[in-house]
Amino acid sequence: MKRAALFVALLVLAWVAWDTGADPVRLARGLPWIADFVRRMVPPDLAVLPAACKGALLTVEIALLGTAVAAVLALPLGFLSARNVAPTPIFYPARAVLNLFRSVDTLVYALIFVAAVGLGPFPGVLAVIAYTTTSLAKLYSEAIEGIEPGPVDAITATGATRLQILRFGVLPQVLPLFLSYVLYRLETNIRAATVLGFVGAGGIGFYLQTYLRMIDYPAASTALLVTIVMVMVVDALSSRLRARLV
Amino acid sequence: MIEVAGLRIVLPPSVVAVDGVDLAIQPGEFVVILGRSGAGKTTFLRALNRLVEPTAGSVRVAGRAVTGAGAAELRAARRQIGMIFQQFNLVRRASVLDNVLAGRLGYVAPLPSLVGRVPPADRALALECLGRVGLGHLAGRRADTLSGGEQQRVAIARALAQAPSVILADEPTASLDPALTTEIMGILKAINVERRLTLVVSQHQLETALAYATRIVGFRRGRVGFDGPPSAVTPAVVDAIYGGEEGNPPRVPLDKRDNKEAK
Repeated sequence: MKRAALFVALLVLAWVAWDTGADPVRLARGLPWIADFVRRMVPPDLAVLPAACKGALLTVEIALLGTAVAAVLALPLGFLSARNVAPTPIFYPARAVLNLFRSVDTLVYALIFVAAVGLGPFPGVLAVIAYTTTSLAKLYSEAIEGIEPGPVDAITATGATRLQILRFGVLPQVLPLFLSYVLYRLETNIRAATVLGFVGAGGIGFYLQTYLRMIDYPAASTALLVTIVMVMVVDALSSRLRARLV
Repeated sequence: MIEVAGLRIVLPPSVVAVDGVDLAIQPGEFVVILGRSGAGKTTFLRALNRLVEPTAGSVRVAGRAVTGAGAAELRAARRQIGMIFQQFNLVRRASVLDNVLAGRLGYVAPLPSLVGRVPPADRALALECLGRVGLGHLAGRRADTLSGGEQQRVAIARALAQAPSVILADEPTASLDPALTTEIMGILKAINVERRLTLVVSQHQLETALAYATRIVGFRRGRVGFDGPPSAVTPAVVDAIYGGEEGNPPRVPLDKRDNKEAK
Protein backbone atom coordinates (compact mmCIF):
# COMPACT_ATOMS: atom_id res chain seq x y z
CA MET A 1 0.00 0.00 0.00
CA LYS A 2 2.79 2.40 0.99
CA ARG A 3 4.84 1.33 -2.00
CA ALA A 4 1.95 1.77 -4.38
CA ALA A 5 1.37 5.32 -3.02
CA LEU A 6 5.06 6.16 -3.43
CA PHE A 7 5.03 4.77 -6.97
CA VAL A 8 1.98 6.83 -7.90
CA ALA A 9 3.52 9.97 -6.36
CA LEU A 10 6.73 9.50 -8.36
CA LEU A 11 4.73 8.90 -11.51
CA VAL A 12 2.75 12.12 -11.01
CA LEU A 13 5.93 14.13 -10.36
CA ALA A 14 7.63 12.69 -13.44
CA TRP A 15 4.67 13.62 -15.59
CA VAL A 16 4.54 17.12 -14.07
CA ALA A 17 8.27 17.61 -14.71
CA TRP A 18 7.79 16.63 -18.35
CA ASP A 19 4.71 18.83 -18.73
CA THR A 20 6.42 21.93 -17.32
CA GLY A 21 9.49 21.38 -19.47
CA ALA A 22 11.76 21.10 -16.41
CA ASP A 23 15.23 20.57 -17.87
CA PRO A 24 18.46 20.79 -15.83
CA VAL A 25 20.50 21.15 -18.99
CA ARG A 26 18.52 24.20 -20.02
CA LEU A 27 19.11 25.70 -16.56
CA ALA A 28 22.86 25.01 -16.81
CA ARG A 29 22.99 26.72 -20.19
CA GLY A 30 21.15 29.73 -18.74
CA LEU A 31 23.44 30.20 -15.74
CA PRO A 32 25.90 32.49 -17.52
CA TRP A 33 23.03 34.82 -18.33
CA ILE A 34 22.13 35.09 -14.65
CA ALA A 35 25.77 35.86 -13.88
CA ASP A 36 25.72 38.50 -16.60
CA PHE A 37 22.52 39.97 -15.15
CA VAL A 38 24.04 40.20 -11.68
CA ARG A 39 27.26 41.69 -13.08
CA ARG A 40 25.32 44.45 -14.81
CA MET A 41 23.54 45.26 -11.55
CA VAL A 42 26.73 46.25 -9.71
CA PRO A 43 27.51 48.80 -8.66
CA PRO A 44 24.00 49.99 -7.76
CA ASP A 45 23.12 53.42 -9.08
CA LEU A 46 22.74 55.45 -5.91
CA ALA A 47 21.42 58.46 -7.83
CA VAL A 48 17.96 56.80 -7.80
CA LEU A 49 18.11 56.10 -4.04
CA PRO A 50 15.77 58.98 -3.07
CA ALA A 51 13.21 57.86 -5.67
CA ALA A 52 13.48 54.24 -4.55
CA CYS A 53 13.05 55.25 -0.90
CA LYS A 54 9.98 57.26 -1.82
CA GLY A 55 8.59 54.19 -3.59
CA ALA A 56 9.36 51.99 -0.61
CA LEU A 57 7.64 54.39 1.75
CA LEU A 58 4.57 54.32 -0.49
CA THR A 59 4.60 50.50 -0.40
CA VAL A 60 4.67 50.57 3.41
CA GLU A 61 1.81 53.07 3.37
CA ILE A 62 -0.28 50.87 1.06
CA ALA A 63 0.24 47.86 3.34
CA LEU A 64 -0.37 49.90 6.50
CA LEU A 65 -3.63 51.52 5.40
CA GLY A 66 -4.90 48.36 3.73
CA THR A 67 -4.16 46.18 6.77
CA ALA A 68 -5.64 48.70 9.22
CA VAL A 69 -8.93 48.97 7.34
CA ALA A 70 -9.07 45.20 6.85
CA ALA A 71 -8.40 44.57 10.56
CA VAL A 72 -11.60 46.47 11.41
CA LEU A 73 -13.74 45.15 8.55
CA ALA A 74 -12.74 41.59 9.47
CA LEU A 75 -14.14 41.91 13.01
CA PRO A 76 -17.86 41.38 12.27
CA LEU A 77 -17.01 38.80 9.59
CA GLY A 78 -14.81 36.91 12.03
CA PHE A 79 -17.53 36.68 14.68
CA LEU A 80 -20.17 35.71 12.10
CA SER A 81 -18.03 32.86 10.81
CA ALA A 82 -17.08 31.39 14.19
CA ARG A 83 -19.02 28.21 14.81
CA ASN A 84 -19.37 28.72 18.57
CA VAL A 85 -20.83 32.25 18.52
CA ALA A 86 -22.60 32.65 15.15
CA PRO A 87 -26.13 31.35 14.63
CA THR A 88 -25.95 28.33 12.30
CA PRO A 89 -27.94 29.92 9.42
CA ILE A 90 -25.38 32.76 9.33
CA PHE A 91 -22.28 30.68 9.97
CA TYR A 92 -22.36 28.62 6.77
CA PRO A 93 -22.89 31.48 4.30
CA ALA A 94 -20.26 33.57 6.13
CA ARG A 95 -17.72 30.76 5.87
CA ALA A 96 -18.52 30.30 2.19
CA VAL A 97 -17.98 34.01 1.49
CA LEU A 98 -14.62 33.90 3.30
CA ASN A 99 -13.39 30.90 1.36
CA LEU A 100 -14.55 32.40 -1.94
CA PHE A 101 -12.74 35.73 -1.50
CA ARG A 102 -9.66 34.17 0.04
CA SER A 103 -9.07 31.97 -3.00
CA VAL A 104 -8.04 35.04 -5.03
CA ASP A 105 -4.65 36.59 -4.32
CA THR A 106 -3.90 40.27 -3.64
CA LEU A 107 -2.23 40.68 -7.05
CA VAL A 108 -5.35 39.55 -8.88
CA TYR A 109 -7.44 42.02 -6.86
CA ALA A 110 -4.91 44.71 -7.82
CA LEU A 111 -5.49 43.99 -11.52
CA ILE A 112 -9.23 44.34 -11.00
CA PHE A 113 -8.99 47.57 -8.99
CA VAL A 114 -6.46 49.17 -11.38
CA ALA A 115 -8.98 48.54 -14.14
CA ALA A 116 -11.72 50.00 -11.95
CA VAL A 117 -10.15 53.14 -10.42
CA GLY A 118 -7.00 53.66 -12.51
CA LEU A 119 -3.25 53.56 -11.77
CA GLY A 120 -1.60 54.55 -8.50
CA PRO A 121 -1.39 53.46 -4.88
CA PHE A 122 -5.16 53.63 -4.24
CA PRO A 123 -6.03 50.44 -6.17
CA GLY A 124 -3.15 48.86 -4.26
CA VAL A 125 -4.78 49.78 -0.95
CA LEU A 126 -8.10 48.39 -2.16
CA ALA A 127 -6.45 45.14 -3.24
CA VAL A 128 -4.79 44.73 0.16
CA ILE A 129 -8.13 45.37 1.88
CA ALA A 130 -9.97 42.88 -0.33
CA TYR A 131 -7.63 40.02 0.37
CA THR A 132 -6.66 40.79 3.97
CA THR A 133 -10.22 41.31 5.25
CA THR A 134 -11.22 37.75 4.45
CA SER A 135 -7.93 36.16 5.42
CA LEU A 136 -7.96 37.98 8.79
CA ALA A 137 -11.63 37.12 9.31
CA LYS A 138 -10.71 33.46 8.88
CA LEU A 139 -7.90 33.77 11.45
CA TYR A 140 -10.18 35.71 13.83
CA SER A 141 -12.90 33.07 13.60
CA GLU A 142 -10.43 30.29 14.37
CA ALA A 143 -9.22 32.23 17.42
CA ILE A 144 -12.82 32.67 18.57
CA GLU A 145 -13.50 28.96 18.14
CA GLY A 146 -10.52 28.21 20.37
CA ILE A 147 -11.63 30.23 23.40
CA GLU A 148 -12.33 28.78 26.83
CA PRO A 149 -16.10 28.32 27.22
CA GLY A 150 -15.96 28.84 31.01
CA PRO A 151 -15.81 32.65 31.15
CA VAL A 152 -18.50 32.83 28.45
CA ASP A 153 -20.76 30.66 30.64
CA ALA A 154 -20.05 32.92 33.60
CA ILE A 155 -20.91 36.11 31.69
CA THR A 156 -24.03 34.47 30.23
CA ALA A 157 -25.14 33.50 33.73
CA THR A 158 -25.12 37.15 34.87
CA GLY A 159 -28.02 37.93 32.52
CA ALA A 160 -25.85 39.70 29.94
CA THR A 161 -27.10 40.34 26.41
CA ARG A 162 -25.59 38.58 23.41
CA LEU A 163 -23.42 41.59 22.55
CA GLN A 164 -22.28 41.96 26.16
CA ILE A 165 -21.29 38.28 26.20
CA LEU A 166 -19.17 38.81 23.08
CA ARG A 167 -17.65 42.01 24.44
CA PHE A 168 -16.87 40.80 27.98
CA GLY A 169 -16.62 37.02 27.64
CA VAL A 170 -15.12 36.49 24.19
CA LEU A 171 -13.24 39.63 23.14
CA PRO A 172 -10.80 39.80 26.11
CA GLN A 173 -9.76 36.23 25.35
CA VAL A 174 -9.06 36.80 21.65
CA LEU A 175 -7.87 40.41 21.45
CA PRO A 176 -4.12 39.70 21.90
CA LEU A 177 -4.36 36.99 19.26
CA PHE A 178 -6.18 39.35 16.90
CA LEU A 179 -3.47 41.99 17.26
CA SER A 180 -0.78 39.40 16.65
CA TYR A 181 -2.55 38.23 13.46
CA VAL A 182 -2.88 41.83 12.25
CA LEU A 183 0.87 42.41 12.68
CA TYR A 184 1.63 39.15 10.92
CA ARG A 185 -0.63 40.20 8.04
CA LEU A 186 1.11 43.57 7.91
CA GLU A 187 4.42 41.78 7.37
CA THR A 188 3.10 39.61 4.56
CA ASN A 189 1.22 42.54 3.02
CA ILE A 190 4.40 44.58 2.73
CA ARG A 191 5.93 41.75 0.72
CA ALA A 192 2.77 41.42 -1.34
CA ALA A 193 2.66 45.20 -1.89
CA THR A 194 6.15 45.23 -3.42
CA VAL A 195 4.83 43.43 -6.48
CA LEU A 196 1.60 45.44 -6.65
CA GLY A 197 3.55 48.13 -8.53
CA PHE A 198 4.17 45.64 -11.34
CA VAL A 199 0.50 45.84 -12.31
CA GLY A 200 0.36 49.61 -11.85
CA ALA A 201 -0.85 49.75 -8.26
CA GLY A 202 1.96 51.96 -6.93
CA GLY A 203 4.95 51.63 -4.64
CA ILE A 204 8.49 50.30 -4.97
CA GLY A 205 7.41 47.61 -7.44
CA PHE A 206 6.52 50.30 -9.95
CA TYR A 207 10.10 51.67 -9.83
CA LEU A 208 11.66 48.21 -10.00
CA GLN A 209 9.65 47.28 -13.03
CA THR A 210 10.31 50.60 -14.78
CA TYR A 211 14.08 50.34 -14.32
CA LEU A 212 14.07 46.76 -15.58
CA ARG A 213 12.11 47.75 -18.66
CA MET A 214 14.53 50.61 -19.32
CA ILE A 215 17.36 48.03 -19.02
CA ASP A 216 18.81 50.25 -16.27
CA TYR A 217 20.13 47.39 -14.13
CA PRO A 218 22.17 49.51 -11.64
CA ALA A 219 19.01 51.50 -10.81
CA ALA A 220 16.99 48.28 -10.53
CA SER A 221 19.52 46.87 -8.08
CA THR A 222 19.15 49.98 -5.89
CA ALA A 223 15.37 49.47 -5.86
CA LEU A 224 15.87 45.80 -5.00
CA LEU A 225 18.24 46.61 -2.13
CA VAL A 226 15.82 49.19 -0.73
CA THR A 227 13.04 46.58 -0.89
CA ILE A 228 15.11 44.04 1.00
CA VAL A 229 16.05 46.54 3.74
CA MET A 230 12.42 47.72 4.02
CA VAL A 231 11.05 44.18 4.43
CA MET A 232 13.72 43.28 6.96
CA VAL A 233 13.12 46.38 9.07
CA VAL A 234 9.34 45.92 9.14
CA ASP A 235 9.67 42.19 9.92
CA ALA A 236 12.01 42.90 12.81
CA LEU A 237 9.79 45.61 14.29
CA SER A 238 6.64 43.57 13.88
CA SER A 239 7.97 40.32 15.33
CA ARG A 240 9.30 42.24 18.32
CA LEU A 241 5.85 43.71 18.91
CA ARG A 242 4.20 40.32 18.46
CA ALA A 243 6.49 38.69 20.98
CA ARG A 244 5.24 41.17 23.58
CA LEU A 245 1.57 40.45 22.92
CA VAL A 246 1.14 36.84 23.91
CA MET B 1 -37.66 29.99 45.80
CA ILE B 2 -36.81 27.27 43.27
CA GLU B 3 -39.49 25.04 41.81
CA VAL B 4 -38.47 22.23 39.51
CA ALA B 5 -41.09 19.93 38.01
CA GLY B 6 -40.64 16.93 35.76
CA LEU B 7 -37.17 18.06 34.68
CA ARG B 8 -35.63 15.84 32.06
CA ILE B 9 -32.47 16.63 30.12
CA VAL B 10 -31.10 14.60 27.26
CA LEU B 11 -27.64 15.70 26.20
CA PRO B 12 -26.43 15.06 22.66
CA PRO B 13 -26.05 12.48 21.30
CA SER B 14 -28.51 10.67 23.61
CA VAL B 15 -27.32 10.73 27.21
CA VAL B 16 -30.11 11.07 29.75
CA ALA B 17 -28.36 13.32 32.28
CA VAL B 18 -31.42 14.32 34.32
CA ASP B 19 -34.27 11.87 34.32
CA GLY B 20 -37.43 13.29 35.87
CA VAL B 21 -36.57 15.52 38.83
CA ASP B 22 -39.15 17.31 41.01
CA LEU B 23 -37.73 19.57 43.67
CA ALA B 24 -38.95 22.59 45.65
CA ILE B 25 -36.38 24.66 47.51
CA GLN B 26 -37.47 27.23 50.11
CA PRO B 27 -35.90 30.68 50.62
CA GLY B 28 -32.78 30.58 52.81
CA GLU B 29 -32.07 26.90 52.38
CA PHE B 30 -28.49 25.70 51.93
CA VAL B 31 -28.95 22.70 49.69
CA VAL B 32 -26.01 20.48 48.84
CA ILE B 33 -26.38 18.12 45.94
CA LEU B 34 -24.41 14.92 46.34
CA GLY B 35 -23.71 12.25 43.80
CA ARG B 36 -21.03 10.46 41.86
CA SER B 37 -19.52 12.18 38.87
CA GLY B 38 -21.90 11.64 36.00
CA ALA B 39 -24.94 11.49 38.28
CA GLY B 40 -26.33 14.67 36.68
CA LYS B 41 -25.45 17.27 39.36
CA THR B 42 -23.76 19.72 37.02
CA THR B 43 -26.37 19.37 34.31
CA PHE B 44 -29.13 19.91 36.85
CA LEU B 45 -27.52 23.09 38.21
CA ARG B 46 -26.89 24.45 34.72
CA ALA B 47 -30.51 23.86 33.84
CA LEU B 48 -31.64 26.12 36.70
CA ASN B 49 -30.43 29.18 34.75
CA ARG B 50 -30.71 27.47 31.37
CA LEU B 51 -27.04 27.31 30.53
CA VAL B 52 -28.26 23.85 29.54
CA GLU B 53 -31.56 23.64 27.71
CA PRO B 54 -33.98 21.22 29.40
CA THR B 55 -35.61 18.62 27.20
CA ALA B 56 -38.82 18.58 29.25
CA GLY B 57 -40.19 19.94 32.50
CA SER B 58 -40.28 23.35 34.09
CA VAL B 59 -38.04 25.53 36.25
CA ARG B 60 -39.15 28.60 38.20
CA VAL B 61 -36.73 30.69 40.25
CA ALA B 62 -37.79 33.51 42.59
CA GLY B 63 -41.20 33.67 41.01
CA ARG B 64 -39.94 33.90 37.43
CA ALA B 65 -40.29 31.24 34.78
CA VAL B 66 -36.87 30.14 33.54
CA THR B 67 -38.13 27.51 31.12
CA GLY B 68 -40.23 28.92 28.32
CA ALA B 69 -38.96 32.47 28.92
CA GLY B 70 -38.10 34.68 25.95
CA ALA B 71 -34.64 36.19 25.58
CA ALA B 72 -35.35 39.31 27.69
CA GLU B 73 -37.28 37.39 30.36
CA LEU B 74 -34.51 34.82 30.56
CA ARG B 75 -31.90 37.55 31.13
CA ALA B 76 -34.10 39.05 33.87
CA ALA B 77 -34.35 35.61 35.49
CA ARG B 78 -30.63 34.95 35.15
CA ARG B 79 -29.50 38.18 36.76
CA GLN B 80 -31.12 37.16 40.05
CA ILE B 81 -29.29 33.81 39.96
CA GLY B 82 -25.58 34.04 40.76
CA MET B 83 -23.40 31.18 39.61
CA ILE B 84 -20.06 29.88 40.83
CA PHE B 85 -18.04 27.31 38.89
CA GLN B 86 -15.44 24.67 39.65
CA GLN B 87 -12.88 26.38 37.40
CA PHE B 88 -13.79 29.89 38.68
CA ASN B 89 -14.35 31.03 35.07
CA LEU B 90 -12.96 34.51 35.52
CA VAL B 91 -11.97 36.49 32.45
CA ARG B 92 -8.28 36.01 33.06
CA ARG B 93 -6.85 39.00 31.25
CA ALA B 94 -9.33 41.41 32.83
CA SER B 95 -8.81 43.11 36.19
CA VAL B 96 -10.34 41.73 39.37
CA LEU B 97 -12.74 44.70 39.57
CA ASP B 98 -13.82 44.28 35.93
CA ASN B 99 -14.58 40.66 36.66
CA VAL B 100 -16.79 41.63 39.58
CA LEU B 101 -18.42 44.38 37.51
CA ALA B 102 -19.50 41.68 35.05
CA GLY B 103 -22.05 40.79 37.73
CA ARG B 104 -23.79 44.10 36.95
CA LEU B 105 -24.17 43.45 33.22
CA GLY B 106 -27.78 42.41 33.62
CA TYR B 107 -28.60 45.77 35.25
CA VAL B 108 -26.61 48.44 33.40
CA ALA B 109 -27.69 49.96 30.09
CA PRO B 110 -26.33 47.54 27.46
CA LEU B 111 -24.97 50.01 24.88
CA PRO B 112 -22.90 52.25 27.20
CA SER B 113 -21.57 49.13 28.92
CA LEU B 114 -20.10 47.92 25.63
CA VAL B 115 -17.72 50.89 25.54
CA GLY B 116 -16.85 50.39 29.20
CA ARG B 117 -19.09 53.02 30.81
CA VAL B 118 -20.21 51.89 34.24
CA PRO B 119 -22.45 54.00 36.55
CA PRO B 120 -20.66 54.98 39.78
CA ALA B 121 -23.30 53.22 41.89
CA ASP B 122 -22.56 49.89 40.18
CA ARG B 123 -18.83 50.42 40.62
CA ALA B 124 -19.35 51.12 44.33
CA LEU B 125 -21.45 47.98 44.70
CA ALA B 126 -18.80 45.89 42.94
CA LEU B 127 -16.12 47.23 45.28
CA GLU B 128 -18.33 46.51 48.28
CA CYS B 129 -18.81 42.90 47.13
CA LEU B 130 -15.07 42.55 46.62
CA GLY B 131 -14.57 43.84 50.17
CA ARG B 132 -17.08 41.27 51.43
CA VAL B 133 -14.81 38.44 50.25
CA GLY B 134 -11.76 40.24 51.66
CA LEU B 135 -10.13 41.17 48.36
CA GLY B 136 -10.75 44.92 48.14
CA HIS B 137 -7.00 45.53 48.02
CA LEU B 138 -6.62 43.44 44.84
CA ALA B 139 -9.20 45.31 42.72
CA GLY B 140 -6.65 46.52 40.18
CA ARG B 141 -4.79 43.24 39.73
CA ARG B 142 -5.16 41.06 36.64
CA ALA B 143 -7.39 38.11 37.52
CA ASP B 144 -4.92 35.45 36.38
CA THR B 145 -2.26 36.70 38.80
CA LEU B 146 -4.39 35.56 41.77
CA SER B 147 -4.22 32.16 43.47
CA GLY B 148 -7.00 29.63 42.98
CA GLY B 149 -8.65 30.41 46.30
CA GLU B 150 -8.54 34.14 45.60
CA GLN B 151 -9.98 33.62 42.12
CA GLN B 152 -12.90 31.68 43.56
CA ARG B 153 -13.51 34.52 46.05
CA VAL B 154 -13.58 36.97 43.12
CA ALA B 155 -16.11 34.69 41.46
CA ILE B 156 -18.23 34.81 44.62
CA ALA B 157 -18.00 38.62 44.59
CA ARG B 158 -19.13 38.59 40.94
CA ALA B 159 -22.16 36.51 41.91
CA LEU B 160 -22.92 38.82 44.87
CA ALA B 161 -22.71 41.86 42.58
CA GLN B 162 -25.78 40.50 40.81
CA ALA B 163 -27.71 41.17 44.03
CA PRO B 164 -29.11 37.67 43.54
CA SER B 165 -31.80 35.83 45.44
CA VAL B 166 -30.22 32.48 44.62
CA ILE B 167 -26.63 31.34 44.22
CA LEU B 168 -25.77 28.15 42.36
CA ALA B 169 -22.32 26.69 42.95
CA ASP B 170 -21.08 23.81 40.83
CA GLU B 171 -18.34 21.93 42.71
CA PRO B 172 -16.93 25.25 43.96
CA THR B 173 -14.08 23.63 45.91
CA ALA B 174 -13.17 20.67 43.70
CA SER B 175 -10.10 22.51 42.33
CA LEU B 176 -8.93 23.71 45.75
CA ASP B 177 -7.04 22.16 48.65
CA PRO B 178 -8.80 21.29 51.96
CA ALA B 179 -7.91 24.52 53.79
CA LEU B 180 -9.33 26.59 50.95
CA THR B 181 -12.37 24.34 50.78
CA THR B 182 -13.20 25.34 54.36
CA GLU B 183 -12.62 29.01 53.54
CA ILE B 184 -14.83 29.03 50.42
CA MET B 185 -17.61 26.99 51.99
CA GLY B 186 -17.41 29.27 55.04
CA ILE B 187 -17.95 32.35 52.89
CA LEU B 188 -20.89 30.70 51.12
CA LYS B 189 -22.41 29.72 54.48
CA ALA B 190 -21.96 33.26 55.83
CA ILE B 191 -23.70 34.71 52.77
CA ASN B 192 -26.49 32.20 53.22
CA VAL B 193 -26.99 33.23 56.83
CA GLU B 194 -26.40 37.01 56.60
CA ARG B 195 -28.33 37.74 53.44
CA ARG B 196 -30.87 34.93 53.68
CA LEU B 197 -29.74 33.88 50.21
CA THR B 198 -30.79 30.49 48.90
CA LEU B 199 -27.80 28.33 48.02
CA VAL B 200 -27.66 25.24 45.86
CA VAL B 201 -24.19 23.71 45.89
CA SER B 202 -22.98 20.51 44.28
CA GLN B 203 -20.26 18.68 46.17
CA HIS B 204 -18.59 15.34 45.82
CA GLN B 205 -17.06 15.49 49.32
CA LEU B 206 -19.48 13.98 51.78
CA GLU B 207 -17.90 15.48 54.93
CA THR B 208 -18.01 18.99 53.51
CA ALA B 209 -21.60 18.53 52.40
CA LEU B 210 -22.75 17.37 55.84
CA ALA B 211 -20.90 20.19 57.61
CA TYR B 212 -22.55 23.05 55.74
CA ALA B 213 -25.88 21.92 54.31
CA THR B 214 -29.32 22.40 55.81
CA ARG B 215 -30.59 19.88 53.31
CA ILE B 216 -28.98 17.12 51.27
CA VAL B 217 -30.25 16.02 47.90
CA GLY B 218 -28.64 12.85 46.58
CA PHE B 219 -28.51 12.34 42.84
CA ARG B 220 -28.15 8.95 41.28
CA ARG B 221 -28.32 8.34 37.55
CA GLY B 222 -30.16 11.58 36.96
CA ARG B 223 -32.78 11.04 39.64
CA VAL B 224 -33.23 12.22 43.21
CA GLY B 225 -32.31 9.20 45.34
CA PHE B 226 -32.33 10.96 48.70
CA ASP B 227 -33.77 14.20 50.01
CA GLY B 228 -33.50 15.13 53.67
CA PRO B 229 -31.53 16.84 56.44
CA PRO B 230 -27.83 16.00 56.97
CA SER B 231 -28.75 14.15 60.16
CA ALA B 232 -30.71 11.64 58.11
CA VAL B 233 -27.70 10.71 55.98
CA THR B 234 -26.83 7.22 57.23
CA PRO B 235 -24.35 4.78 55.72
CA ALA B 236 -27.26 3.11 54.00
CA VAL B 237 -28.15 6.41 52.36
CA VAL B 238 -24.53 6.98 51.34
CA ASP B 239 -24.48 3.52 49.85
CA ALA B 240 -27.70 4.23 47.98
CA ILE B 241 -26.21 7.39 46.48
CA TYR B 242 -22.73 6.14 45.73
CA GLY B 243 -22.68 2.37 45.90
CA GLY B 244 -23.43 -0.43 43.52
CA GLU B 245 -21.26 0.83 40.71
CA GLU B 246 -17.58 0.37 40.04
CA GLY B 247 -15.21 2.95 41.49
CA ASN B 248 -14.51 3.88 45.09
CA PRO B 249 -17.36 5.24 47.17
CA PRO B 250 -16.30 8.15 49.37
CA ARG B 251 -15.18 7.56 52.91
CA VAL B 252 -17.96 7.72 55.48
CA PRO B 253 -17.18 10.10 58.36
CA LEU B 254 -16.20 8.26 61.54
CA ASP B 255 -19.19 9.33 63.60
CA LYS B 256 -21.55 8.01 60.92
CA ARG B 257 -20.03 4.56 60.67
CA ASP B 258 -21.77 1.66 62.32
CA ASN B 259 -19.76 -1.03 64.06
CA LYS B 260 -19.65 -3.45 61.21
CA GLU B 261 -18.02 -0.92 58.92
CA ALA B 262 -15.68 0.40 61.60
CA LYS B 263 -14.26 -3.09 61.96
